[in-house]
Amino acid sequence: MAVTSVVERLRARIGTTGPPITATVEPGHLKRFAEAIGDQNPRWLQEAPPTFLVALAPTSMHLAEAEEYGKGWLNGGNRFEYVEPVKVGDRITATQRVADVYEKSGSSGSLLFIIFETEYVNQHGRTVARLRGTGIRR
Amino acid sequence: MNPTAGQELPELIKHPTTRQLVQYAGAQGDFYEIHYDQDFARNVGLPGVILHGLLKAAFLGQLVTDWLGDRGTLKTFEVSYRGIDQPGRPYRCRGRVTKVDGDQVELEVWGEDSTGNRTTVGTATVGMNG
Repeated sequence: MAVTSVVERLRARIGTTGPPITATVEPGHLKRFAEAIGDQNPRWLQEAPPTFLVALAPTSMHLAEAEEYGKGWLNGGNRFEYVEPVKVGDRITATQRVADVYEKSGSSGSLLFIIFETEYVNQHGRTVARLRGTGIRR
Repeated sequence: MNPTAGQELPELIKHPTTRQLVQYAGAQGDFYEIHYDQDFARNVGLPGVILHGLLKAAFLGQLVTDWLGDRGTLKTFEVSYRGIDQPGRPYRCRGRVTKVDGDQVELEVWGEDSTGNRTTVGTATVGMNG
């Protein structure tokens, strides 16, 4: 029952937070990101497009034990909540937390769901956005 | 023109390539091999390399911001990934207004693969400028 113990060990991580990651919104990074998604709106030279925050501060938590479950990761979904615009030069601190861990049985076998929540705070101490992501091991 | 319930957003058709997946991997900092290494992708049971879910989310984000312009502000944006998509096939982004309540507008958005399957579905809420 090695699989069950992985789920139990991961469930014990619910509520824990990863190390805060701080990064500055650099014009070059914004430009490369907008080019990569193929969005040529000049607005994104000054302001972060809707999904940019995931690139600014990549996942801070590495749940090594999750990789004992299944063969690979899938992204189940993302929910962004925007409080105020993120602009070039902003210094953003992202803190990620494990919000939930659960297992589900599907037609192609069992799946492990890990829900991550990330809060983004700017240089003025104001929350600018929140992100909820669903990581799936299959 | 003010948004009204039922109104469709102008569709956005993307043509993702393997090159774009590599470009996106670099820009996001997501180097999971299923997005650029064919052998790795097949070894984990995929038909080949697949699009990043968050790249599809970015396409749908563009659908919304292209439509919205400077008329309002995006408040929430949520996407669920229901199926995989491979590069070399067009990705059609669509959406429509589902509800208008004062200056609050709700949208449904989705991405279709080349056979019309909705492989990404989502919602967005926007606040229109007063």
